[in-house]
Amino acid sequence: MTINRRTFLATSAAATAAIGTPMILRAQPSEYILGVSLPLTGPFATAGQLVAPVFSLAQKMFNDEGGIAGTPIRFVTEDSGYIPNNTLANYQRALANHGTDMIGYFADSTGAMKLIAPELRGANARIMGSTSFASELANPAENPYQYLSGPTYQSQFDILLQNIKDAGGSKVAFIFSNTEFGRDPIEHGKATAERLGLEVVLEESTKAQGADIPTHVTKLAQSGAEFCILQGYVTGVWPQLIGGARQFGLPVQFKGTFWGMEKFIADRITNEAGPILDGYQGVMPYRYFYDREGAPRYETYAALSKEMFAGTPMENYMSTWALQTMCGLELAVKAFRDTAEAGNELTADNVAETLSAISDWDSGGFFGGPVTMENNAIGTGRVYSYSAETKLFTPTSDWLSV
Amino acid sequence: MGQFAQFAINGLMSGAIYALIAVGIVSVFKATKVVNFAHGYVIMFGAYFYYTFAVIIPGMEGAPAWLASWNPAWMAEMRADLPMFSPMGAVLDWAANVPRILFGLAGALVCNAILGLIIERTLMRPLMGQSIFAMIMITVGLISILSGTASLIWTADADFVPHIAPNAPVRFDLFGTPIFLFGADLVNMAIALLIFVGIVLMVRYTKSGVAIRATAEDQSTAYSMGISVPKVFSRAWVLACTTGAIAGAILATRNGISPSLGLFGFSVLAIVLMGGLDSYIGVFIAAMAVGVMEAMTQWQLGGDWAEIVPYVAVLVVLLVRPHGLFGQAEVERI
Repeated sequence: MTINRRTFLATSAAATAAIGTPMILRAQPSEYILGVSLPLTGPFATAGQLVAPVFSLAQKMFNDEGGIAGTPIRFVTEDSGYIPNNTLANYQRALANHGTDMIGYFADSTGAMKLIAPELRGANARIMGSTSFASELANPAENPYQYLSGPTYQSQFDILLQNIKDAGGSKVAFIFSNTEFGRDPIEHGKATAERLGLEVVLEESTKAQGADIPTHVTKLAQSGAEFCILQGYVTGVWPQLIGGARQFGLPVQFKGTFWGMEKFIADRITNEAGPILDGYQGVMPYRYFYDREGAPRYETYAALSKEMFAGTPMENYMSTWALQTMCGLELAVKAFRDTAEAGNELTADNVAETLSAISDWDSGGFFGGPVTMENNAIGTGRVYSYSAETKLFTPTSDWLSV
Repeated sequence: MGQFAQFAINGLMSGAIYALIAVGIVSVFKATKVVNFAHGYVIMFGAYFYYTFAVIIPGMEGAPAWLASWNPAWMAEMRADLPMFSPMGAVLDWAANVPRILFGLAGALVCNAILGLIIERTLMRPLMGQSIFAMIMITVGLISILSGTASLIWTADADFVPHIAPNAPVRFDLFGTPIFLFGADLVNMAIALLIFVGIVLMVRYTKSGVAIRATAEDQSTAYSMGISVPKVFSRAWVLACTTGAIAGAILATRNGISPSLGLFGFSVLAIVLMGGLDSYIGVFIAAMAVGVMEAMTQWQLGGDWAEIVPYVAVLVVLLVRPHGLFGQAEVERI
C-alpha cells in the first residue's frame, strides 16, 4: 500500500481512536479504588486494628450516599507492620494493580508519608491522607498531594504551651519517644516556650516501647518541672511514666498530644492501676465520640456502628484514632465529590487544588465549628481532661485555633 | 555520688531483667548449640499467658469473685483510710490482686513449658543430627509463627496486667541525695537474680546440669556415656520457656501487653553475644553492664545516645574477644 497524505491521516485517526478509546473508558471506572496501608502487625498494631474496621463503615456510608458522582468506591487495605518501606511497596503495588482507578491513598506513619512524597509525581501522584500529624507534611509547596486531618504536632504543642502559660506555669519538661513521631515538635516547642516565657527544664528522649521508667522519672523529679508534655507514644510508656511519677509523689501535671488521648487506653489503665490518670490533660482536634449533641455525622457513624460492629467494642464507641481516619476520609471524599461536580477529572492535581481550598467546612461534628484548610492542615483543637471516676475526657478549654 | 548511685541502681534493675531474658537463650544454646532467635516471642507468649490467667479469666463471667479481687472486710477498712499513693495503699492494692497474680504466674509457667515441649518435639527433635544452621533457621521461622499465632489468639489489643510485687515507692538518702526506687522493680530484680543463681547452681551441681554440660561439650560422647541427649534438649527448651514466662510476666507489668514485647529478644541477643553464648556468668555480667551503661548514658547524654552506647560497647568487646567475655572458643581438631 502506498502511503499518501490521505491514507496517513486516516491511519493516524484510526490509531488515535484505538489508543484513545481505552483512555476515555478508563476515565469512567466501574468503581474508584482508595488504597490503604495500616499497621495491622508490629509495634502499633493496636492502633491499626482499631482503625481498620472504619474503612468498611466508610465504604458503606459513602456508597450509600452515591459514591463519587454515582461511582462507588472501594478501599483496598494492606498491612505495613509500621515499616515505611512496606507502605511504599504497598503503594507501588496498588498503583500497578489499579492504575488510574486508584484515586487516593491512606498511609500509616510520618515515615511512610515522607518516603512516598517523592514518588507522588506526574502519573504516579495520588491524593494522600494518613494517621500522621507531622508538621513537615503541612507544606503544600513541597507536598501538594499530602494533607492532615487536624493540627500538626507543632500546633498541638502550641495549644498545650499556651494552656500551660494561661494556667500560670513557668517550668515545663518535654518527654518524647526517640522516633520521628516523637521528635517532630520538640524544636518548635522550645521556640514557642521561649516566646511565651516558659522555661524548658528537661528534654528527655525515651524508647518508644519498653522505656526505662525509673530513670526517666528520676530525671523528671530532678528537673523540677511543673508541667510535662508527653509526645510520640500510643499505648505504652506514657501511662507508666505518669504512674511512676504519681508513685514518687511528684506534683508535675502531665499533658499529652493526640495519640496519647485515647479513652480505651486510659480506661484500661484505670481498671488495672487505679486512678493514676485522674486529671491528665491533652490536646484533641476532635470531639470525643460520646459528645454527639449537634454532631449529625457522629450520629450517622453511631447508627452504622451499631449495625456493623454489634458485639464488638466499636458498637458504641469509636476511638479517637478511628475518628482521625474518618475525618481524613471525609475530607478526601469531599474533595473528590467537589472536583467531580465541578466537571473536572479526578486527577491528583485537580483534587489537591480542591482540597487545599476547602473553606468554612461544616464537618458535621468533628470540630467546634466550620473549619478551613490552611497549609493542608486544620489548625484547631481543644484541651481535655480525663476523670478516672467518670472515665470520660471532658473539655477544659474552648476550641483554640493556631 | 548519690545521683550516680541512683542511676546505677536503675541500671542494675534493668540489667536483671535482661539477664532473665538472656538465661533462656544461653540454656538452649548450651544444650543444643542452637541460637534461638525466637526467644523474644517465647517471652511474648509468656506475657500473654500471664495476661490470660491474671486478667482475662478472672474477669470472665462465672469466675469466683475472690480471684478477680480478694478484698476481705478488714482490708477494705484499712484501705479506706489511706491516701491514694501511700506505700501501704500500694501494698494493699497488690494484696487484693495476689490470687490472680499467682494464678497468672502458674498458668504462664505451665503453658510456656508446654509450648517449649511442643517446639522441641515438633520442630527441633526431627532435625537432630542435621546441620545446626537448619535448626537456627527454624527459630527464625518460628518468629513469624509465634507472632502470627499470638495475634490470632489475643489480637493486637493493648492492655495492662497487675504487678507481681507491690509497687510501693522506696525512698532513702544516700550520700546526701534522696534515692527513689519502685518496690516492684526491686522485687523483680530479686526474682531475676534468684532464678539466675538457681540455674547456675543447677547446671554446676545437679545430674541434669552435668548432663547439659556434657551434651554441650560433645553430643556424641554424651550419648555414648548414657546421657539421653533428646531429654537434655527437652529440658533446655522447657527451662528457657519457663524462665521466659517469668520474664514475659515482668516485662508485661513494666510495659503493658502488646505484640511489641517480642522485639525485646533481639536487643538481648547482643548482650548474650557480649557475655558469651555458653556462659551464664558472662551473660549475667554483660546484662548488668549494659543495663548500667544504658542508665548512665540516659542520665548524662540523653535517650538518643542511650540506644547506641551500650551496643558500641558490645561491638568493642566482640572485636577484642569474638567469643564474648566468658564464652568458650571452639577448638576444631583436624
